[in-house]
Amino acid sequence: MAENLFYFLVFPGLLFAGVVGGLLSWFDRKVTAWVQFRRGPVLMQPFYDFLKLLLVKETIVPARGSVLTFLSAPVLALSGASISAALILLPAFGITSGFRGDIIVIFYLLTIPSISYVTGALASGNPLASVGASREIKLLIGFELTLLLIFATVIMKSGMNISLYEIIAYQQQNGALIGSLSGVLLFIPLIFCIQAKLGMVPFDIAEAETELSGGAFIEYSGPPYAMIKFTKYIMLFVLPALAVVLLLGGLSLTGTSILWSVLKILAVVLLLTLIRNTNPRLKVGQAMRFFFIWMNALVLIAIILTYSGL
Amino acid sequence: MDITGLIIVVPVVAGLLLFVIPEQDKKGKDILTLLVTIFTAVGTWLIFRAEPGLVRLYTPEIQVAGENLGRIMHGSNEFMRFNIDGLSQITVLLTGIFGLLISVYSIRGVSQNDRCSNFHSYFLITFGISLGTIMADNLLLFIFLWGILALTLYKLIPAHDEKSSAAAKKTIIMIGSSDGIMILGIAILYTLTGSVTMSDISLETRSVLSYTAFAALLAGSFTKAGAFPFHSWIPDYTENAPAVSSAYLPASLDKLLGIYFLVRICHDMFIMSETLRLIILSLGVITIIIAVMMALVQHDYKKLLGFHAVSQVGYMVLGIGLGSVLGLAAGLFHMINNAIYKSGLFLVAGNIRSATGETKLDRLGGLSVKMPFTYICGLIFALSISGIPPFNGFASKWMIYQGIIDFGSGGTLAGRLWILWLAVAVLGSALTLASFIKFISGIFLGSIKENMQKVREAGPSMLTPIAVLALMCIALGVFATGYFIPKLFFPVTGPFEFYGVWQSATVSGLIILSIILGGLIYLATGVRRMRKAESFTGGEKVSDDRGYPVTGFYRTISNSPLLFYIYNKAYKGWFDIYLRSKDCILWMNNGLSRRHDGVLHTYLAWIFGGLVIILLILL
Repeated sequence: MAENLFYFLVFPGLLFAGVVGGLLSWFDRKVTAWVQFRRGPVLMQPFYDFLKLLLVKETIVPARGSVLTFLSAPVLALSGASISAALILLPAFGITSGFRGDIIVIFYLLTIPSISYVTGALASGNPLASVGASREIKLLIGFELTLLLIFATVIMKSGMNISLYEIIAYQQQNGALIGSLSGVLLFIPLIFCIQAKLGMVPFDIAEAETELSGGAFIEYSGPPYAMIKFTKYIMLFVLPALAVVLLLGGLSLTGTSILWSVLKILAVVLLLTLIRNTNPRLKVGQAMRFFFIWMNALVLIAIILTYSGL
Repeated sequence: MDITGLIIVVPVVAGLLLFVIPEQDKKGKDILTLLVTIFTAVGTWLIFRAEPGLVRLYTPEIQVAGENLGRIMHGSNEFMRFNIDGLSQITVLLTGIFGLLISVYSIRGVSQNDRCSNFHSYFLITFGISLGTIMADNLLLFIFLWGILALTLYKLIPAHDEKSSAAAKKTIIMIGSSDGIMILGIAILYTLTGSVTMSDISLETRSVLSYTAFAALLAGSFTKAGAFPFHSWIPDYTENAPAVSSAYLPASLDKLLGIYFLVRICHDMFIMSETLRLIILSLGVITIIIAVMMALVQHDYKKLLGFHAVSQVGYMVLGIGLGSVLGLAAGLFHMINNAIYKSGLFLVAGNIRSATGETKLDRLGGLSVKMPFTYICGLIFALSISGIPPFNGFASKWMIYQGIIDFGSGGTLAGRLWILWLAVAVLGSALTLASFIKFISGIFLGSIKENMQKVREAGPSMLTPIAVLALMCIALGVFATGYFIPKLFFPVTGPFEFYGVWQSATVSGLIILSIILGGLIYLATGVRRMRKAESFTGGEKVSDDRGYPVTGFYRTISNSPLLFYIYNKAYKGWFDIYLRSKDCILWMNNGLSRRHDGVLHTYLAWIFGGLVIILLILL
């Protein structure tokens, strides 16, 4: 049990994933600044943001909402994100002890943050938050099917294995899954799904700073908002790591391959950052159609290609 | 008479006796009902613990009434045969639990205007008869008892206005005709095998006749459980019946019976062919998706729950249709879980209804402050049904998904389509989540309406059953893989290996730990500097009508071109087999009624023509 607690709280769960995610968030902001010809924040800026919210800022709770639900939502979001971080990163780093879960479990644990945001937003009783929540859940319906189809194709390509360990082992023997045509076709929708899951432009529909002033998060402040920020850091690391595990052959912590692993993650994050800096926000209907028709079509082609061995 | 007979006869006899006690003596009826239910529930526990085997009820040879009656009663020993095996034991136990919980709830839970006459009698008769149906081994006994249930179901909905009478009529017509089809199926089965004993029959589905028999029995089980295309009575029933009736029959007992019989026909009585498997899996996924799409756009929370009562059946059908041991256990586990959270949800709906009198989502809101206990239980049920880990709904869905992936490793056509089954099942669960966000937030979250300020939490007799069900949701979820699945299903299906890994207890422990840690963080940092403030809405004044009601949440989906078209057709009842066959029958009658022109000569001509034809045949 002590071992599991360590995996969950320190490495590779909560603390480690959060710190790496914070650094990645700095990377994202720095690249965004470069794109916009600014200097960008200092390296520690994400952590300053977090600590200020946690330690300095006051907590304001909505007068007309359900306070307990409102406050527990960020905790559950953080919990779901950290557990999925541990479940994804343990196999990614090749650590075989500790608790584990298959790809379906991970798929469902990864939805916990979204659900918690939605519930928290609705509990605040703010109409703008309601609009944000309704958009978040519709977006979730949109990309959930695509994400599942990608997972299913990966399962099929790696010989009907639903454990991440086996999927990585398969790739170590037979080369990364992206090495085939269907693998490339899978990578594109996967990146967009991650974009949507992270709520980045063009899918920042639920937050929509300019029209909903933060949407689902509008009422959050102080420590609860700090937890949401930390959850977002974790997700910013965990989802690219999942993409690397599923299609790019996994990570490694030994010797020079550390550098290679870091580069893989950075490349995925860079891709996400560039997409978010070069696109306008979609309407929620457009986003749903984008996933339901176009991205699903791509995955379907990939499935057919997989059946024919490409 | 041993316990098998007692748990059937005692509730039925008590129910018949209660007809005599006048309705005014409600307290006496309540107490008697409760006592009988407790006795029967204990009996079901004994059955659950008993050694499996066949039980023959001793029927005394009646000598006095003469030789004729003796001869009629001669074969009755064969008729009164009950099969106690793993499957019926677990179903009987659950029926006992639900009967007990709902009888406690019904003491206060049926409001005066919702009350149907002789509720207690029909409740007890349903209880005893259901237990008999589950244990019956002889198909004739089975169909006899199964038929009585249609009648009690009909009597448990008060037909006080046109709408509820229509719903009651629809229910009895659909269930009744499916019973008729089942009798046909049993007859065919008897012709093919020469036996009407379930445990003796094992028929290959090869000939047209065997397919027909299978389809006829399947229709019966699908109508009872509420799977496509025989599902359409459930939403109408739940919308109009009191919540306690919905929680009792369509949500729990009918599901248990229908799925129990589905398992019996798919795994015991027939050996399914590949084509049949494909058809059953398709029906399963169609059930999931169409019902959940309809649930998404409902504004009446009882009807919303009714559509989910249909949609969840799709998962069970999917699991059982896979034909593997894993799939069977998954389907049964989902049956149990669904019965738990669905009857819980209906009871929550009953609390809301009796506290507020409202059934429309857009007139409610913010009740979590007034009814905190109902809210927490409702949230647990909602998260369970949406398949959020670590609750029980996730555990059984996880098993079904695994079963599908495992099935995909086989080389059959249905197996090659595994991604399709999986995709629809997962999409269905995302849509379930979406519609329960609507349910929870529409009723409990947000700001409270002015006219709801006086709402009070329900009393203990209504909360206790809900709390027990919520605890069952948590327990069955948290200890799923470690304890409950091996304990409950290995006796039914034999031992099996999981395809994936889900350490339910560990993950639940971590979630509880994070809640504690989160609370500590709030205590350490937040509480000192916490203050309340009105919501920020860009400077506008917030009022009840200015909000964004949950009923508008999914308009983007229902207004998209293709779906808009389909929804319109669905509202007009295009996919309702009841309305379609009604149209068909009326159309056929149309031809006959046009002959009724009221002219005497025409009638005479018909009579004369008929006479001639009869004479020709007889000569």
